[in-house]
Amino acid sequence: MISEIDVRAVLARSVCEFHNDLVTRSTGRAVRSGIEAHLLEHPDITVVVLDFSAVRVLDCSCADEIIAQLLLRSQPGAGTGRGTYFVVRGLDEVHADQIDEVLRRHGLALVAEERGGTRRLLGWATDLMRTAWECVADHGSAVPEELASELSWPLDEARRALDDLAGHGLVMRADTHYLPLTAA
Amino acid sequence: MTTVVEVPQSFDDRSFEQFASACAAIRDPGRVLIDAHATEWASPFGLVSLLCAGQALGERLGTRPLLTVPSDKDVTTYWARTGFFLEAEALFEIHGAVPKLRQPPESTVLLEVTPVRVAGDVHKVVDRIQDRAAVILTSELGLEARATIGFGMALSEACQNIVEHAGTGGWVAVHAYTWRRRLGRRVVVIAVADAGVGFRHSLEPTQARRYGDRWGDGPALEAALIQGVSRFREPGRGQGFRGIRKFLDHWEGKITIRSGTARIAMIRPWDEDVPLREGLAAFPGAQLQLVIPAAERVAP
Repeated sequence: MISEIDVRAVLARSVCEFHNDLVTRSTGRAVRSGIEAHLLEHPDITVVVLDFSAVRVLDCSCADEIIAQLLLRSQPGAGTGRGTYFVVRGLDEVHADQIDEVLRRHGLALVAEERGGTRRLLGWATDLMRTAWECVADHGSAVPEELASELSWPLDEARRALDDLAGHGLVMRADTHYLPLTAA
Repeated sequence: MTTVVEVPQSFDDRSFEQFASACAAIRDPGRVLIDAHATEWASPFGLVSLLCAGQALGERLGTRPLLTVPSDKDVTTYWARTGFFLEAEALFEIHGAVPKLRQPPESTVLLEVTPVRVAGDVHKVVDRIQDRAAVILTSELGLEARATIGFGMALSEACQNIVEHAGTGGWVAVHAYTWRRRLGRRVVVIAVADAGVGFRHSLEPTQARRYGDRWGDGPALEAALIQGVSRFREPGRGQGFRGIRKFLDHWEGKITIRSGTARIAMIRPWDEDVPLREGLAAFPGAQLQLVIPAAERVAP
């Protein structure tokens, strides 16, 4: 199941209804706790779309506490993790840059839909992963053989790139197919 | 016996060293008079640094230092309109006429001298300034609208440095004015200062061993600003200065941080500063200044 969460609304509930800005670590922790509480109440959610459209300022500390920590803690076997996938939506270009920096520092990556609708990967990913992700996103799904053929890659390399994407929570694996998160 | 410390006639980040040297030279356990009677102008950096001196001297000497206000009534009125005296009256025994009524903010003041103690204060600061900053940055400085978001981020991270590391409260002030001699352009200046433990002390438990004999105020500032090192060991820490630097890189802005006996600067082609100065007069806490200049095409 896919769930969309308005991050500004979580901020209002968790910290103060008059705040528009995601700033400070303590605010980030409060917002993350609010999101995690929602996920605990809805264990059937597998893909979470975090909507930043109504957020004005996002600082690095808050981005680290919300996004990087959500990704780290949701990985299977870590923190409260159960393998949830995250997508961010409604990012301003400056927000996207902030998140990109924060994720790179942790070796994490995330699928982002910017305000214009453009999808891209934020954070750390190899060139092979980025190329493979674009191919999966364009085609709506892929198997290693198709990817290898499309990109003229050795099959092992195509399989490894897709497995890396799945391991970083950037695509979902369903049997032999790899699916983009927004199509899941 | 009373020791007199003169506030420079024009008090900003440059003349600050003269003031810091005079403060560091105080030896007598008697009273201290901070004498601003001849001061004709103070930047936001000067104003918040003055508050740091007041707090530190009060704590050290056990009695509030005296402060004589500028003798020029216009200057005193300006200081009142920056919110300086609202904070100073708790730290100094003030001598001289201070406008009693709360004055409307000066038009050049984007944010009055504002205390920062807890994370909630950072929220208030960012919230209060954001709309006015948008107008100043776009119309007066000729920057793109997205500069406003980065500005809020940089302001927030600079203020959080106090909350997370100073071990005490501090102050922030933001003014917009024209740097006629130094740049010939409009600038927005963010000044954030505290009289807390300073960068060296904050980073010492995690960094001193790595630097060995080289460890000191200068390496601590380099570690924080250049390498993004934090006193916290988690990998996500220390990103605040990285974010500030990225914002300033984009808009040709400048950051300086003074802490303890050192001062570090990210210098620009328009600037004549030096990257690192060590062996300065000791001054408590940390004093940051961010300068965002107008786009070059905008006339001063």
